[in-house]
Amino acid sequence: MKFLRKLHDKAEPLFHKGGKLERLYPLYEAHDTLAFTPGEVTHGASHVRDALDLKRMMVTVVFALVPCILVAMYNTGFQANAALAEGMSADGIRGWIIDVIGIGYSAANPLACLFHGALYYFPVLLVTFVAGGLIEVLFAVVRRHEINEGFLVTGMLFPLILPPAIPLWQVGLAIMFGTLVGKEIFGGTGMNIFNPALTARAFLFFAYPAQISGEKVWTAVTAANQVDGFSGATALGSIAGVADPSAADAWKNALMGMDITWLDAFLGKIPGSMGETSALACLLGAVLLIITGVGSWRVILGGVLGSFVVTLLFNAVGSETNALMNVPFQWQMVLGGWAFGLVFMATDPVSSAYTNRGRLIYGFFIGVFAILIRVVNPAFPEGMMLAILFMNMFAPLINSMAIRSNIKRRLAKNEAV
Amino acid sequence: MLTLLNGWRKGFSHGLHPPEHKELTADKAVIRLPFPDVVYVPLSQHTGAPATAIVRPGQEVVRGEPIATSAGFVSVPMHAPITGRVREIADIPTPRGQLVPSVIIEGYPSADQAILYGAPQDIDAMTPDELIAAVQETGVVGLGGAAFPTHVKLKPPEGKSVDTIIVNGCECEPYLTTDHRLMVEQPEAVLKGLAVIRKALDAERAIIGIEANKAEAAEALNKVIQAADRVEVCVVETKYPQGAEKMLIKSLLNREVPAGGLPADVGAAVFNVATLAQIGELLPKNQGLIERIITVTGDGIEKPGNYLVALGSPIRHVLDYVGLKKGKSRVIFGGPMMGATIASWDTPITKGVSGILVLSRGEEESAAARPCIKCGACLQACPIHLNPCFLGQLARVREYERMVDSFHLMDCFECGCCTYVCPANIPLVQQFRVSKQIIREQKAAAS
Repeated sequence: MKFLRKLHDKAEPLFHKGGKLERLYPLYEAHDTLAFTPGEVTHGASHVRDALDLKRMMVTVVFALVPCILVAMYNTGFQANAALAEGMSADGIRGWIIDVIGIGYSAANPLACLFHGALYYFPVLLVTFVAGGLIEVLFAVVRRHEINEGFLVTGMLFPLILPPAIPLWQVGLAIMFGTLVGKEIFGGTGMNIFNPALTARAFLFFAYPAQISGEKVWTAVTAANQVDGFSGATALGSIAGVADPSAADAWKNALMGMDITWLDAFLGKIPGSMGETSALACLLGAVLLIITGVGSWRVILGGVLGSFVVTLLFNAVGSETNALMNVPFQWQMVLGGWAFGLVFMATDPVSSAYTNRGRLIYGFFIGVFAILIRVVNPAFPEGMMLAILFMNMFAPLINSMAIRSNIKRRLAKNEAV
Repeated sequence: MLTLLNGWRKGFSHGLHPPEHKELTADKAVIRLPFPDVVYVPLSQHTGAPATAIVRPGQEVVRGEPIATSAGFVSVPMHAPITGRVREIADIPTPRGQLVPSVIIEGYPSADQAILYGAPQDIDAMTPDELIAAVQETGVVGLGGAAFPTHVKLKPPEGKSVDTIIVNGCECEPYLTTDHRLMVEQPEAVLKGLAVIRKALDAERAIIGIEANKAEAAEALNKVIQAADRVEVCVVETKYPQGAEKMLIKSLLNREVPAGGLPADVGAAVFNVATLAQIGELLPKNQGLIERIITVTGDGIEKPGNYLVALGSPIRHVLDYVGLKKGKSRVIFGGPMMGATIASWDTPITKGVSGILVLSRGEEESAAARPCIKCGACLQACPIHLNPCFLGQLARVREYERMVDSFHLMDCFECGCCTYVCPANIPLVQQFRVSKQIIREQKAAAS
């Protein structure tokens, strides 16, 4: 450590004004903050500070993501192993690594599943950080500001909302788009209107629909190696596409056809984007976020209420042609990206509302639109992403309205006195 | 849960609970510091017009002698804090930062420092107007920190009346314990001062508001309060900034001072306990304000405690006596939330200084400002429900007029809650201070 410090200090003059590497000062600074504690002190009031700073907030979010990441790796491997036909192995280098380690392809062996999944998860994570980081560093250098912790969270979130079979070049392209258009052109961290990770995913969704929707992408096994009759569709996809939607309990039949119980969906043993399948993991993350105060419970509560109300409404109306209308709330909340989006995406402070009442309203409408898009629009069986991006746009308006109504209320109250 | 329900019913919303650190000095009785060799008496240590000096260089002055007279109604006279000779009238840095013409007095080391000025006066026989004039003569200003001339508050604006006097014994700033010790040691003085104020204002009610962490002070006051005093002591929640007058009015009376308004708009007037105690002590003798209690504390101090110091004592003199620990530290006038760092070792203790805080590096270490992520922590902390987050962004692009017109910047009383909670370490309250100053200067230039 001492040696590192020495080396670091020695290099410092290079990066200062007039130094050879002056333009790369942000890189030096990032290393400085990451490796050593920053030495700046307050220069004015207030002279004491709360202990919660940005870095701690970001790290808390990453900690909250740990259960989701573990499930992401396990479930990706599990789905792949389950779909793999007897005697077949994974393609290319992944198959080679697994053969060398000798861990095998048993769906019943959690370690084998975890390992197989990790071989899909980590490359995506790596590409995300390299490609997105590149944009981040580029802008930091050109704008001469420090590299912000914000990208850490975006970079952790993005792989979790991707299907496992996504081509890596698409991952890189998307995260570059998300960082650039979702964040940097608005002025960098804190200035963005939309959630950068969701912007990146929306880009993929509309630019390369073949690789991010449909039935083929949710399982990390090529078609040639799959067991016979393997479907691979997500639960929501198969409910939307059920053969006979007019039958009573059509949605139940669809799920039974996939052999999915509610517990499976809750634990996350269903096909889907890597990190979003497990409602339990999201719940654990939500608990940590709420206890530490990093994520707003108001947004989450609002979202639950919004979805609940709309689901009840749809269930009451019912439908002969759309099986999704009849799916009850306890299923809606464990399927698709609902839980993950609400806990980790909707609570993103930058793109959400920041007044207390505004947060409730913002969350509520995310809940409403998520179910609305999911159920009513057959082109987009997964509505969470679009609902959040849509409400991101309205967050400033909601804030402004919340503050105005506060002023009005207080004026009225004081006039009454 | 019970406190939650109480909070719902009573008190102001928002605010915060910083670590108090009052245990360092809360049980330390007030000790008088030796007189300094030299004092600097700034002619403007209060809000309002600077006083006019009435002494010349070389002139001998006796402790308590008037050395400057008030220039107008919103102004107060100054009195000599020590016996000695006027060296000169020169610019000296004050705790507020600017250079101010000050009377510099070199003390006579062997002087007995007796107060020869002032004569007993019968305050019971005085009319309210006479009382107001007498209070102005004592030179007493708000000793809680605002340093607003007290007698001005005794004359509510035309058409408004005060039905309730609130005595502010909250001392919500962390570390400070001067008001606490004062209430414990001289509760009678507070009541005496209150009686004067009450007569001048003709108010029917009087409430002493004390934060829950000073139960000892409430007890001491309750012991000396008689039924005839018609005063109630009310314990309020320990929460920063409970001691801000608008917050205390909300907590005790559930009345909200309108934006841009004064306490008199809702029939209240707020006085700090130390202010009242000084009035109670000085007025019957017709003497001037020449000393005050300050808390000297923080982990950079050898002998933290509450000290009675002559006004105008340079900070160097005080710190020499209490002992400064070795190592880098930051010296702050006032509390950690609203206090300001000193500009010079010669900065004198003025009427508005309630303490000196010396923090070693660790306590106030923090990173540079990061980008705002709109987390809303400042909105949830601001006791007057402003939008510090947006105000800060406007300040960065210098939209000062919009800050005032659409976002009520002028209602900010700079409590520092937003800066305290900001996870991105954005110096919000400094930005607001600077913006307000610029707005004031623009207005002054325009008129």
